[in-house]
Amino acid sequence: MKIFLKILLASSLAISASAKEIKLLNVSYDPTRELYTEYNAAFAKYWKAKSGDDVSISQSHGGSGKQAQSVIAGLEADVVTLALSYDIDAISQQAKLLPANWQSRLPNDSTPYTSTIVFLVRKGNPKGIKDWDDLVKKDVSVVVPNPKSSGGARWAYLAAYAYALETYGHDDAKAKDFITKLYKNVPILDSGARGSTITFAQRGIGDVLLAWENEAHLALKEFGDDKFEIVTPPLSILAEPPVAVVDKNAKRHGTTEVATAYLNYLYSDEGQEIAAKNFYRPRNQDIAAKYAANFTQLKLVTVDQEFGGWTKAQATHFADGGVFDQIYQP
Amino acid sequence: MKINQLLIATFVGAQFTVTALAGDATTNSTEAAEIEVLKQEIQKLDQKVSEIETQHQAQQPVADSADKQQIQDLDQKVRILSRERELDQDAAATAAKSAPKITLGSGGFGFSSSDSNFVATIHGLIQVDSRTFSQDNHIQGNDSILLRRARPIITGTVYHDFDFNFTPEFGNGTPGAASAATTPSIYDAYINYHYSPWFQIEAGKFKPPVGLEYLQSDTYTLFNERSLVTDLIPGRDVGFELHGDIVGGVVSYAVGIFNGVGDGQKNTSNIGFQNDREFDGRLFLQPFKATSIAALQNFGFGVGGSWGSSSITNTLDLPNTTGGSNPGFYTDGQQQFFAYRSGIVAANSHWRLSPQAYYYYGPLSLLAEYAISDQQVSTNGLTHSADLQNTAWEISGGWVLTGEDATFNGVTPRHVFDPRNGGWGALQVVARYAELNVDKAAFPLFADPTASASGAQAWSLGLNWYLNKNIRVNASYSHTTFTGGGAASATTAPASVSSHPEDVFFTRVQLSF
Repeated sequence: MKIFLKILLASSLAISASAKEIKLLNVSYDPTRELYTEYNAAFAKYWKAKSGDDVSISQSHGGSGKQAQSVIAGLEADVVTLALSYDIDAISQQAKLLPANWQSRLPNDSTPYTSTIVFLVRKGNPKGIKDWDDLVKKDVSVVVPNPKSSGGARWAYLAAYAYALETYGHDDAKAKDFITKLYKNVPILDSGARGSTITFAQRGIGDVLLAWENEAHLALKEFGDDKFEIVTPPLSILAEPPVAVVDKNAKRHGTTEVATAYLNYLYSDEGQEIAAKNFYRPRNQDIAAKYAANFTQLKLVTVDQEFGGWTKAQATHFADGGVFDQIYQP
Repeated sequence: MKINQLLIATFVGAQFTVTALAGDATTNSTEAAEIEVLKQEIQKLDQKVSEIETQHQAQQPVADSADKQQIQDLDQKVRILSRERELDQDAAATAAKSAPKITLGSGGFGFSSSDSNFVATIHGLIQVDSRTFSQDNHIQGNDSILLRRARPIITGTVYHDFDFNFTPEFGNGTPGAASAATTPSIYDAYINYHYSPWFQIEAGKFKPPVGLEYLQSDTYTLFNERSLVTDLIPGRDVGFELHGDIVGGVVSYAVGIFNGVGDGQKNTSNIGFQNDREFDGRLFLQPFKATSIAALQNFGFGVGGSWGSSSITNTLDLPNTTGGSNPGFYTDGQQQFFAYRSGIVAANSHWRLSPQAYYYYGPLSLLAEYAISDQQVSTNGLTHSADLQNTAWEISGGWVLTGEDATFNGVTPRHVFDPRNGGWGALQVVARYAELNVDKAAFPLFADPTASASGAQAWSLGLNWYLNKNIRVNASYSHTTFTGGGAASATTAPASVSSHPEDVFFTRVQLSF
């Protein structure tokens, strides 16, 4: 027995002595702070139990487009968890930090959870906002981030545009007119989703915030459901925020294995539960059913269906001189 | 409101009238009819007041609602403006993080990248001198106004640990005849890696670590020209040096390997002409620097030295020709008073030793230095050789009359020159005595005793006026006598110079930043 205990002690000491300290940098989009605070703690615990190594994950948050540009400019992300695939494609094409087929490496096109765009309004919904066409009324002030920098803003823009296409029989001219009227009601453009939440919820500007679903729920939690309420329109867009290992950075840091495991764990039961608890729609149907009360059912259209994919949508609407530049005058 | 008051007054007045009328016991029927009419009038007025009041109350909510909406709209506008300002400030702060920084001040024009990985500063040094020789026995000295130094000095740091300096010289930095052409040249061009204050590696062209007076920056020397001691010290050369300050500068050391230059010379070609190298080193101590003994904190002493070896074909390692246009030993007035005979070459070893010290306390400054230059020389063809040991020493000092502290790096006036506001800068009186003695074994084989002096003795007095940190005006007088030397009838240096004492009056206007 004594010998056994000695061997056990020696092994523990050996393991402790050989336990590595690994650091990861997750460059993410704006509203995922709370999600990854909880998720990172869970993954660190999981990885310690599995490998004996200590992993600490640093986070960087900001508008998805800006974050992608930061990584291209040299921010040494091991993984990126951004708002839309176009931003990760940009990292692949411009900086060659990961292969072009990155999206096929993880299930569901590398999107472990989905989300959508909803309306956050003042308590009592004084302006009676129920659907997208209420946003173009003259007395309604809309808060939404800048689609040039924010992924959430691009989803919101496309959700509104998709509504117009569905409503006006896919008449582009009418849809453009609709979106022009909507952005005429936007008094201020923050660079990211979190900034817009501050503008609406803390600075008291506007009648409605076009928000990520999770962001809307977080606002209720933080500021109280006596101040705001969520209005889910009948139709919105299926937002699929993807995740990817930044291969060259991870290889240089020697963190490829851990970075891959970090993203894989998002698909685990625990990862999916954490997503659901933070108001991201999990891919795991069982967990989605468990948290069904968190999510209102609505018609969700996709970027592929309405706009022919992100590359086309970006080029048409958000590139310099695109539709957004044509319709929005600050 | 005014209408209501009028109506009420009318009503009350009417009531009094009725009361007056009713109290009259003897009212006849005519009066009764009149009273009835008045009653009806009062009733009508009463009804009108009620109607007006009702109308007013009905209009009030509409006005309140409009005002409220206006207030809400204004409130939103104010909030939007406030938030826009907030976002602009955030954007400006973000932009500032990546924007380069530019500074301009008495220390020069500086610019730096936002992450401080690239920092550069442009300094400058301009010295406009005048030299006026007197009592020159009809043999004209080189009276002139000259641009003694004109240097843009570019210094900087790359990635925090790599310093650099690039200093070209466009002034008349080379002593010699008035006709000497000014050739722009590189004075300093080096990179210095500082791992820590005590471990630094320097590579390029810079001052070798030997002479104390020579190591003092050209900006801060007490007199226009350095003393006779510097005639024996190696000038700027190309090489590598390990150096550092230990214990906060209590101990400073430097050891280096250089191409090797002759006494008082600098490497003007930026290349070496011989296989052998020169090793230079210096150790300087300021033992009280870290103590609280203020009177001794700026007392330092040390020793510098060099050792090298010259190939026998090298004619560049010593001042070896006559005629004034080639290197030699120079007076304060920059006139050649000693030169080796034509064809003399440096041969084999050459070592130098320079014990040195300085002391600064309040307005007092003192600097003393002794130099030995021991060099083997040979006649061309190596028929005759000798080991010549030339020596020099100096002591110089100053006193800042206006009370500011004197330092190795100059004087900073408390009150800059601004006569409108009673500021006159700082004033310093300075004095120096120096001697240089040539080894007697140099004569007559290696140097012509009828041309070259075997010794020089120089004393100088001067006044330095520091207008501010950047502008300085000097005036000084220097008297040099010679031992041995040329005939009175000589017309070319060094004979013409060493044939009589040299008296020269200097002035200088200096700009440095």
